[in-house]
Amino acid sequence: MNRKWSQSLANKPTLLYDKSLRSGQNIHFDGNVVVLGDVNPGAEIVAGGHILVMGALRGLVHAGAAGDESATVTALCFEPTQVRIASHITRPPDDNANGGIKPPEVARIRDDNVVIEEYQPPR
Amino acid sequence: MGKVIVITSGKGGVGKTTTTANVGTALAMLGKKVVMVDTDIGLRNLDVVLGLENRIVYDLVDAVRGNCRLKQALIKDKRIENLFLLPAAQTKDKTAVSTDQMAELCEKLKEEFDFVLIDCPAGIEHGFKNAIAGAEEAVVVTTPEVSAVRDADRIIGLLEAAGITAPVLVVNRIRTNMVKSGDMMSVEDILDILAVDLLGIVPDDDAIVISTNRGEPTVFDDNSRPGLAFRNIARRLDGENVPLISLEEKQGFWGRLKHMFKSE
Repeated sequence: MNRKWSQSLANKPTLLYDKSLRSGQNIHFDGNVVVLGDVNPGAEIVAGGHILVMGALRGLVHAGAAGDESATVTALCFEPTQVRIASHITRPPDDNANGGIKPPEVARIRDDNVVIEEYQPPR
Repeated sequence: MGKVIVITSGKGGVGKTTTTANVGTALAMLGKKVVMVDTDIGLRNLDVVLGLENRIVYDLVDAVRGNCRLKQALIKDKRIENLFLLPAAQTKDKTAVSTDQMAELCEKLKEEFDFVLIDCPAGIEHGFKNAIAGAEEAVVVTTPEVSAVRDADRIIGLLEAAGITAPVLVVNRIRTNMVKSGDMMSVEDILDILAVDLLGIVPDDDAIVISTNRGEPTVFDDNSRPGLAFRNIARRLDGENVPLISLEEKQGFWGRLKHMFKSE
């Protein structure tokens, strides 16, 4: 299993946003986006590359917006409204019972599906 | 051809969105084909109240600007077959849509739907003008507070100036015991000032807070008093003649006792 960020995306510029993103605020950036804070419902991040949220992800994110399927979305607390990677769209199930402490999670495309799993540092 | 009805109030927080969600759902429960349009661009809420937030891909701004087909922006309700939502954009501002575009959109929607309910933003500026641009009828929501009634009066004037001449009134959040004790304006007092037809009265109830937070309209709950009020409002909008529900609250023993002491 290749857990490395793809070379092409890792070489892209990265935007570091050092606040929380509130409802109605958005980041559009053709590269990777790192947020030091939360992404609240109603906020939106559209990135050409990876998205990393060092806080709670509760809004809408689109990684690999230019079509790169190797893009990933990682968050310490993964409770997004909707996740899009390249041309894939997914949302949590309606009976989603949040709560409890969860490990950081990452969303990526595998076998043409968006899968969400516990974050493991790349080896 | 369907009807385009704007739900407006002037003042914020009086229950426009709650009314839209519940009346829209109730109309769909009556078998009507309904679309609810959230025109509060930048401060959208209707999707949250309906529990449809995570289904949004395209929105009102995308639809009017031709970024997508209108059909693609319509979100089908998860509970009822013939109920749809056209969500507002959250990351744009109200000037993203013009009144002409809204009027055109409403024309298109009413060909397809029996009822087009427009959820209006608070205020009387651009957002309000957009919301009423394509509307033929109006429902004005107010609460029994002087400030809300004052704003409703202003709104009714503006609606009339825009050619929507016979708006109907929903009085939301009535508390019968406070009206009785003279601490709250009564529906009669409000109608006295506003001089419009009454569409319905909705009692103040904890059920609303619960249903709103859960993203589940209260009209689904057979035991909910506001739910019944909203279902009746929907039937009246559909042309049925439904009497107003009794607002008498069921009093427990202590309530009756308190009442006895008060009246003496």
